Amino acid sequence: MSTPIPDSLQQQLVNDLLIESFEGLDRFDRELLALEAGGQGDAETLNVIFRVIHTLKGTAGCLGFGRIEATAHVGESLLSLLRDGKIDVSADRISALLKLSDALRSMLQHLETAGDEGTADHGPLLARLQALQDASSASPPVAADAGFGLFDDEPVAPAPAADAGYGLFAEESAAAPAVVARPPASPPAEPEPSAARASVSDSAIRVEVGQLDKLMNLVGELVLARNQIIQNVAQPDPAALLAASQRLNLITTELQGSVMKTRMQPIGNVWAKFPRIVRDVAQELGKKIALVMEGQETELDRTIIEAIKDPLTHIVRNAIDHGLETPDARLAAGKPEEGRIVLRAFHEGGQVNIEFTDDGRGIDVPRVKARAIQRGLVTADQAARLSDREVFGLIFLPGFSTAEKVTNLSGRGVGMDVVKTNIEKIGGSVDVHSTAGQGTTLKIKIPLTLAIIPALIVTSGGERFAIPQVNLLELVRLEGADAQRKIERLYDVPVYRLRGQLLPLVDLNRHLRLTPAPDAADVVSIIVLQADGRQFGLVVDAINDTEEIVVKPLGKQLKGLACFAGATIMGDGRVALILDVLGVAQQTRVVSAVRESTRAEETRETAGIDDRQTLLLFESRRGRHLALPLSQVARLEELPLAEVERSGRQDVIQYRGQIMPLVHVSRYVGDEADRPATTDGDEVMQVVVYSAHGRSVGLVVSRINDVVHASLAVRNADAREGILGSAVIQQRVTDLLDVEGIIRVAVPSFLHHGDN
Amino acid sequence: MKFTILTVDDASTMRKVIALALAGAGHDVIEAEDGMAALDVLKLRHVDLIITDVNMPRMDGLEFTRQARTLPKFQRTPILLLTTESAPEMKQRGREAGATGWIVKPFRQDQLLAVVAKVLPVAA
Repeated sequence: MSTPIPDSLQQQLVNDLLIESFEGLDRFDRELLALEAGGQGDAETLNVIFRVIHTLKGTAGCLGFGRIEATAHVGESLLSLLRDGKIDVSADRISALLKLSDALRSMLQHLETAGDEGTADHGPLLARLQALQDASSASPPVAADAGFGLFDDEPVAPAPAADAGYGLFAEESAAAPAVVARPPASPPAEPEPSAARASVSDSAIRVEVGQLDKLMNLVGELVLARNQIIQNVAQPDPAALLAASQRLNLITTELQGSVMKTRMQPIGNVWAKFPRIVRDVAQELGKKIALVMEGQETELDRTIIEAIKDPLTHIVRNAIDHGLETPDARLAAGKPEEGRIVLRAFHEGGQVNIEFTDDGRGIDVPRVKARAIQRGLVTADQAARLSDREVFGLIFLPGFSTAEKVTNLSGRGVGMDVVKTNIEKIGGSVDVHSTAGQGTTLKIKIPLTLAIIPALIVTSGGERFAIPQVNLLELVRLEGADAQRKIERLYDVPVYRLRGQLLPLVDLNRHLRLTPAPDAADVVSIIVLQADGRQFGLVVDAINDTEEIVVKPLGKQLKGLACFAGATIMGDGRVALILDVLGVAQQTRVVSAVRESTRAEETRETAGIDDRQTLLLFESRRGRHLALPLSQVARLEELPLAEVERSGRQDVIQYRGQIMPLVHVSRYVGDEADRPATTDGDEVMQVVVYSAHGRSVGLVVSRINDVVHASLAVRNADAREGILGSAVIQQRVTDLLDVEGIIRVAVPSFLHHGDN
Repeated sequence: MKFTILTVDDASTMRKVIALALAGAGHDVIEAEDGMAALDVLKLRHVDLIITDVNMPRMDGLEFTRQARTLPKFQRTPILLLTTESAPEMKQRGREAGATGWIVKPFRQDQLLAVVAKVLPVAA
């Protein structure tokens, strides 16, 4: 009476089962780990966990996957006892259940790739799950609500599930339940020769119906705009064409945004497996680690999610393996026994930031140097001159590994260099900060999407090139005499002094052997670019405009060219090549060549002292140049003058839900005693927010000038009021502000906690 | 004869399995992902038969059955519980909630169709 389900439909159902089950098992792991962390857990959590296995068992059974069903059944029995409170949650039981989820996952994976459930033997695991049930009072392995008594209207012993396939309550007392044989395992789906096929769960995403409706609407609008334009070809009407193209522009932008949104996935999808990895690896290494994740809902394009999966996993493993100490070592160092790994993701400036922070031992600078020398990555002489920051950079070099012994976790030859390469391949960057004994922070910045990116269009040698905006720092234009005079040569490399820093220059025409435009000599356009944490200037004939470009991959023949990342098609239908900034920098060796020579010069300037810090430069009312270490600055804000209120004798402003006292810096550096420190005519004030002890003070300054990385060789140590000393920064005498001193005077209450 | 059947299950694959089997037998199938969603369907649509899972988030199948029975239109509509447990307690609870019968998961298509044919007013 029933027709068997056709193969194609069966395959569709199997795919659904896989997607649903993989999602379910991830949730299962997550909830179990939460349960392990939080003790007994509430009934609902246990029920959620139970339901995953319960559903998997039912669905797999209906589709004829007897082994998955049988395996799930054993877990379900244990879970029903846990859910009903008949046995307690224990570490043993959780471990076994996690193993169960691995076993189910491997069977599902086998189903996905080979078309059947595989033959792996899960006997020992099942026996263990069974044994863990027996540890309780002898209760039947059937889920039964303890709140109910047994009703006696069914005197016969409960028939096993297999015998009672279905029944009607009305018939039950009269007729014996229909005896139906257990469903034989129906032939599984046609095995597909598909080892290379993308995983089903990776090839499908969930999209909200509302989002699809919106897309359809926009496509409708697009069709209308097209009709208008086609009509205009037949009967040209410039005004109507203009209106139509404006509409087209709007619709396309909106459509682009909407399609992007459907491709966006929360980064939590990648992080979901981290708690499990942290637990397993920590257990294996005998470490105690708490994992904190913030910003899981931060969204990224699918392709990027794919690309960062492995690098992120590697970073986490690396942190557990190398970053965090054993509990004994931590206690000995005066730290809590349990280490912490904090993952943070957030959007900033059209990019996604991902930060990994651990409170482990930090990067051991001398050891890294020693290892790098031993591996021949740097000479002893170079190593001695490296700043800490550059030493941290060494861990990203190919062939570097500081692990004392190669573990099976992170010392697998896949080092941090691969992490860095993979992140940079998608236009991202990796930065590392570390304090010995206190921990390491790894910051990753990646673009939201790869398909459409903002880019700067430039012309050189009559050709147009696109430069991804991510790499762009600023544009410098030198005219007339400046064009010749301001470009110097240092060790045969042309350089430009940009605010006191030497900027190595690359002439794009020369590099690509193009013929420069004839008038190029009068004007020099320098594009300041960032690659590999270093800056360099690219000299081009002309700078055109910024544009959103659609990235098209280069053909196979051109793939080997390191200086191009792809191609795009411009509005006039012609092709422009996209420059690979990192590739150009590496090819011209400009970054490393000048790095050596600039360092030599800097070393001379600072007489061998390398105490460079990042400083915020700003001015007081009278134009005095002041500096503050950027590490003391929480944020820079422009706040409206109108919002300043008074509390007692103190100017205050409401800031992020707190009352923030304002300190007019000019008054405290002996600049001007009683003039109000507000800037006449301006409606906003520049505020440097300083935070300590969880509270903030706003330092009102007149102008914020720059952030520089400079040596703070304090020349004049006779400290005056509000000033720690003076130094020459960018050829100007600059006073270093004594923030704490000023605040102590201006807002005495602020530092109370700290002083006591 | 063609009937409208509501299938309630939080597992979409399971709903599809049921829907495919029933559609193959010529019925219209409406899907709902839990008891709450199913009650919403009942407020708007007429259905001839309900097949519901028991263990679901938000509102389980037993509670849904109880609530469905309070709706005048659905006092006599057959309701079948999909369950992995056929223990007497479960049956007792199903019966008390007002369900008509039960189907044990996993089931074969012909089992499903057999029990469906049994409870529908005229054999399909």
